[in-house]
Amino acid sequence: MREIQHFYEQLKKEGIIFSFSGPVSQSLLEGIGATLRQKMSLEETSTDVMQKVFSIFVELMQNVINYSAEKGAAETGEADLRFGVLIIGKRDEQFYIQCGNYISPSQQAPLREKLNRIQGMDKNELKRYYKEQRRKEAADGSKGAGLGFIEMARRATQPLEFEILPMQNGNEFFVVKVII
Amino acid sequence: MEAFVREKTKSTPGITLDPQQHHLEIKGESYPENSANFYSPMLEWLDNYLQQLNDTPVQVDIELIYFNSSSSKVFMNFFDMLEDTAQRGVPVTVNWKYHEDNDTALECGEEFQEDMEHVAFHLVPLEDGA
Repeated sequence: MREIQHFYEQLKKEGIIFSFSGPVSQSLLEGIGATLRQKMSLEETSTDVMQKVFSIFVELMQNVINYSAEKGAAETGEADLRFGVLIIGKRDEQFYIQCGNYISPSQQAPLREKLNRIQGMDKNELKRYYKEQRRKEAADGSKGAGLGFIEMARRATQPLEFEILPMQNGNEFFVVKVII
Repeated sequence: MEAFVREKTKSTPGITLDPQQHHLEIKGESYPENSANFYSPMLEWLDNYLQQLNDTPVQVDIELIYFNSSSSKVFMNFFDMLEDTAQRGVPVTVNWKYHEDNDTALECGEEFQEDMEHVAFHLVPLEDGA
């Protein structure tokens, strides 16, 4: 019982406002999103920053919903729930969001390539890349438009940070950090 | 032709496409789980509506506080359809409404505006609290 209190205090000490781990759904996203906005609004966060934090939060959560390799066992044709972890914190007056989920080995190379490319771009290049990608047909089997990380990089104040950690079960764990 | 109406939800905007008044309105936020699925009936309706227009002016009012990246692709297709219609001589006016302190919404509007040659695309600031 005591561990949970330590865990809670530890999160607070690190400036973490929200932490979530488990199956992610659209309704959960909408609920946390509304509370996140309420919290930022109470702290008189500027509209601009609120919009950016909210936008990055939505893109990250929907990435988990669409691409996490860890699924709950779905029965009778119900859509699978996909798992991930997300924290939102504030450090030195800046919001940051970190998000992690398992990916399959086949997702690794294209993801790394895409993020490396984005990391090397300035805001103008990101804008051009965003508009170019938006014109492209969505990749086969992709549920999104393939624009999420470019969108996040455009809203962030610093380049996206990421790591892909090899796991013993053959999967890999993908973590991305966005600073607003 | 019947109007196309969708009530606003937390993650999808209110949509009223009125073929009698030739007024199309989208207002709210857009971050559904699957944007392509959600908007496909609207784009289909729009395609049918635009095809049968000759020279009747169309007015489009858009007020999106926030939309996610997959919705952005849908709106690009939406504006492309309007641009094609304007190119063949139908007068199309778009009012992109944004709150003055919402820089992201303004920037997104500007980026759609850049791609419009024949549509009269106006960026309309709303006063704070409006």
